[in-house]
This record gives sequence, structure tokens and C-alpha cells, in this order.
Amino acid sequence: MKGLNIAAAALLCGAAICLSDGAAAQERIVKITGFGAKSGVVRVFGVNSEAAMKAAAEVINASGGVTLGDGTKAKLAIEFLDDRCNAEEGISVVRRIAATDAFIAVGPTCSNVAESLFGILQKKVNDPSDSGLQFPIIADVAAKGGLAKISEWAFRNVPSEFEMYKSLFAWLRKTHPNLKSIWGGVEKDFAHSNATFNVMIQQAESNQFQVLGKSEWLLADTTFSTQVREMKRANPEIVVISAHPFTTCGVLREMERQGVKPKLLIGLTSSSSIETLQGCAKQAEGIIIPTSFAPVNAEAQKAATNVAKHGGSADLHSAAAYEIMFILKDVIEKQKIMARPDTVAADRVKMRVGLAGLKTTFGLLGTVGRTEDREAIKPYLYVHAKKGTWQVLHTP
Amino acid sequence: MDFYLGLIQIIGVHTLLGLSAYCVLQTGQVSLAQAGFFAIGAYVAGMLTVLGHWPLIPALIVAAVLGGATACAVGFPALRVKGLMLVVATTAFGEAVRLFFFNFNYQLERGELKIGPHGGEGFRQIRYFPENGWSTLEVAIFIWVIVVIVMAALWWMDRTRAGAVLRAVGQDEFASQSSGINITAVKVTAMTVGGVIAGIGGGLFAHYTTHIEHVQFGVALASFAIAYPILGGLSNVFGTLIAVIFIQGFLIEGLRFMGDWRNLLFGGLIVLAMNVRPRGLIDENTSALFKRALWPRKDRAGA
Repeated sequence: MKGLNIAAAALLCGAAICLSDGAAAQERIVKITGFGAKSGVVRVFGVNSEAAMKAAAEVINASGGVTLGDGTKAKLAIEFLDDRCNAEEGISVVRRIAATDAFIAVGPTCSNVAESLFGILQKKVNDPSDSGLQFPIIADVAAKGGLAKISEWAFRNVPSEFEMYKSLFAWLRKTHPNLKSIWGGVEKDFAHSNATFNVMIQQAESNQFQVLGKSEWLLADTTFSTQVREMKRANPEIVVISAHPFTTCGVLREMERQGVKPKLLIGLTSSSSIETLQGCAKQAEGIIIPTSFAPVNAEAQKAATNVAKHGGSADLHSAAAYEIMFILKDVIEKQKIMARPDTVAADRVKMRVGLAGLKTTFGLLGTVGRTEDREAIKPYLYVHAKKGTWQVLHTP
Repeated sequence: MDFYLGLIQIIGVHTLLGLSAYCVLQTGQVSLAQAGFFAIGAYVAGMLTVLGHWPLIPALIVAAVLGGATACAVGFPALRVKGLMLVVATTAFGEAVRLFFFNFNYQLERGELKIGPHGGEGFRQIRYFPENGWSTLEVAIFIWVIVVIVMAALWWMDRTRAGAVLRAVGQDEFASQSSGINITAVKVTAMTVGGVIAGIGGGLFAHYTTHIEHVQFGVALASFAIAYPILGGLSNVFGTLIAVIFIQGFLIEGLRFMGDWRNLLFGGLIVLAMNVRPRGLIDENTSALFKRALWPRKDRAGA
């Protein structure tokens, strides 16, 4: 009898193991790999992107995951690799991801890394003379204008800063007709800040503002007295700062110390983040920045809460990473991506075709348009710093 | 496989950078100017292939010549000072080169596009390899053929009178001068050879990263350049190679899975390596050990 009981228990165990194996086989995991700067001065961008991707994956998984081409359901898993904002490391990271079963990568943080990465991709699809890597990448943060043009395998979900500042300076002209003179400040050695500064100045001049001059500093600078002294001497009515939160705060503090009080402050899109408020909320009071993200509706508020749960903060960059996860879910389902080791090459092509074919995508502030050259046309608004928070100033 | 081939490319180019500093270190001088010569090579080779449509090999030759000529020109005034003063002088030169490229704008219209170096925004689309259908394997082989040639040349030089003179100057400048060696000529020659190698390395770097900008050629790169031969050991050229594999292959790529802890370990492991192997990973004793293992008969004959 005892032997019979043991045999029955063994049978039950075996059946349970078989059943659990079957259940595991039904639930597949699709890994999406993100990459960006998780160390160095711009570390916070990578941390926020990773948190946003995980938050979005959690929401997608909670609603059942993604449906793959063979009809099975899969959960999304996120892996995030650090490229230290270094082009060589970025190339290595992408080659590493492309060596796996991945059919897409999300990143990078820095525009200089994107420049190199997109350069190693095949420029034109189906060009047999071009031996570039055939692997789709969608950027969430790298914001320098026109980067996706480098390769047909490159996509971006970043706002058009050209459109944002064009609209902002036209609006400033209308709402502040008495203000005329502008002084510019730029973080000269950072590609994004530098490129956007040129856009800002061009738009300011197009709207009949008089640019008195500019001060330059570097991303790693910690003292700004000379630059602010130049600014003080010019006595401008508007100060435009094209720099990331770390040096923006340094300059604003120095402006306070030297008693420079312009009537209006304009900042770089990337500074419309929590880091600016944490670093210099008092000095940044009133600064106006165009942004493609603010928690102004239920969806955006939910996203901000979810991202915070994962240890990040939602800003225009991480919100883009959040949105990308939903875009990927959509493309995976529409293109019937199989996500199997034997379909990797086909899945990459399908993913590229799917992304290139998108006319509109999900956006936290509303529908996002897509351009022919694989860029996004994102809704935006102007925010200003008010009592330690970002508040909506105007919705164009 | 592409990932490993890409890593092999990176190791090859960094080996050239390290070997450029190795030449100067042989004479007992510490130069932080190698990143400057590397930048010159990168921009020159990039401009020749992208703007001038030159084939890569002639472009690399010009990059090498210009890297060497600049090093020679810098060597004369810079090598009049020694020790820390030389470090300061060469750092200043490296920064001057970086800032030159930071402000260097030379773009040509090509259809709707403007191509060429664009100041702080860098120089994009140096796509010689993919545009000419080179596979990752072919690029890796090309880089390593150059690395092997350079290493073989330095290995051979180490065993000639020129190598002995370099080491003599490095070990005791006054004694060398007393025995009739023109130490200025020796140091400038070492600097020039280093400049040639850095120029080639820079040219290759520009073509595998496809985009270059001034920030890539700062003090951090110059520090890596001297760290490779110092960490690897100056007894022979293989020390530099081993150090590059250790740093690029193990510390940077191998530890990537450690996420945020990688940077902390990076510094710690270098300090540990320098403590355990103060004369470099491949010091004179290790070299002798290898030599005995590889050529036992010759060794016995010598004994």
C-alpha cells in the first residue's frame, strides 16, 4: 500500500511538472533592451529612461502583454545598458544587442552617440553595396535635430526643437512686444545644447529681437562668473540659456549672486525637468521652457506616477521612452512579430517597416505625428517654473 | 559574432594609441599630447575620404605623416622641459588641438547636405567602410594588419641599436648624454614615431565610429594612451596590447553587466593591478619567462 502511495505521489508530481512546463511555454518573454548614459554628468537621463521603460512595460504586462505573430501572448522584460555617453561604447552596446535575438533597441541618451550609432547602420534599406548594420533603433532622448536622416534604420520619438522655439519666439514677440534685447548663454561643448542654441538665436532674430551677444561655457564647468559678468555688462531684457540642468543651475545661481535680473528667462527643453527644480528652484523661478511633456492630463499623471515608482522622474525625455514602449507593442502586434531565435532577421525587417509606416503614434500629451524622415511631430506646451514646480504657461 | 569583431576593432585602435605613448615612454618622458596627434589623424583621414573621396590607405598615410610632423614640431620645444613640466606642456598642446577642432568649420555642399567638420557639432558620416561594402570581419582584419605591422616594427626596433639608445635615454639621461647620445634628437624621434602611430590610429578611429567630435580627444583619451603602456609594462610591445585587452575587453565590456558598479570596479581593479604588478602586467621577468618557454634551445645556448 505504501508503495502504491509513493507511486501515486510521483505520478502527481510528474503531472504537475508537465503542466507547469506547459503553462511556462504559453507565457513567453520578449526582452526589449534600452541603452543610454547611466554614469557621468548626464546619468540621470539614463536612469529616467530605464524607469520609464519599466513603468510602461508593467502597464502593458498588466493588461495582458503583447500578442505575437503566432498568437501567443508575451510579457515584456526590460534590460538597460550603460553607454556612458561615449560613442565607442554606444557602438559596442548596439553590436552586443544586435548579437542577441533582439529586434529593436531603444536609445541612446546623447546625440554624439546617436551620430556614431546611426552612422554604422545601413544608410538606405536594401542597398546591397552598403554593409552597415541592419538593425532598427529608436531614440528616446538624443535631441539634436535631424539625426534620423542618417539611416533608414534609425527612428526617433523626440520633439522637434526647431518647431518649439519657432513657436515660442513668435509667441514672445506677441505677448511681450516691449522686450527687445536678448543675451544668449550656451553649453558650447555639448552637441545638443550647441545645435539648439543656434536654433534659438535664429528664431529670436527672425522675430526682431536684438541679440546683444553670448556667453559660452562647458558641460563640466562649475564656475560661471566671467560669463555672467559679460551678461551683466550687456544688461539684456531676456536671457536665453541653452544648457542642461547642471550648468543651467550654476549660471542661474551666479546670476543671482551678481544681481543679474532679466525680465524674462528662456531655457533649453532638457532643463524642464525635476533636476532643475531640485538644483535651483528659487533661481529658476519664472524660466520659460517649451516641452513635450507635463502631467497635464490623467494619462500623463498616471505615467509620471508609474515612472516615479520605478525610481525615475517623468520629463520630456523619459516620457518619450514611455511612449516608445506602447509604439513597440503596437508595431509588434500589427507586424505579427514572432520574437523567436529563427525569425530574428525577419522580425527586424518587420519592425523597421512597421515603424517607418506609422503616420501617428500614441503620445502622453495627445497624438504624435510621424514624418517621412522617421522623426516625431509631438504636441508641446510652454511651462514655467513657479514655486518649485513646473506649471503650464501656454498651450500653442 | 559582429559584437566580438567590433570589440576586436576597438582593441586594435586603442593598441595603436597605447603604442604611440609607448614610444615616448621608452625615453622616460610622459606625454599627454597623444590624443592631439590622434585627433589630427582622425580629422585628416576623415576629411580626405569624405570630402576628397580618397581611398583609405593613402588617407591613413597622410594622417600618419601629419601626425608625425606635428609631433616633431611639438617635440622640439616641448622636450626642452622634463617630468611634470612636460606633462603640463603636452596637456596644453592636446587641449589646444581639441579646441582647434572645436572651432574648426569646413563644410562643403553635397546636394542638399553640407558635409565636413562642423565645429562643436562634430564631423559626421565618415562611412568609408560600410559604403564600400566592408564587412565587420574585413574591417577588423584591416585594423589588425596595421597593428601587427606597427607592433612588429617596434619589436624589431627594440632589438636594434635604436631601441637600446631609446632605453638608455629613458633609464639615465645624463649617462646617455655622457656617452655621446644626442638626447634631444632621440626624444624628438620617439615623439615623431609616436605621432605617426597616433595619426594612423586616429584615422582608423574616425572610420569605425563614423562620427568624430572634439570631446572624444580630451584629457581622458590622453590618460588612457599613457595608462595602456604603463599598466601593461614597458619591457616590450605586448604589455600595451595586454593592457588594452584588460581595460577595453574586460573592464569596459566584460563588466558591463555590473551596471552602475562597473565604474567603481574599473578604478579599483586598475589600482589593484598596479599594486600587484607595479612594473606592469608584462614586466622584464614575465618577458624572460615567456622567452624561455618559447625559445628554450636559444636560451640554453645563451647560458
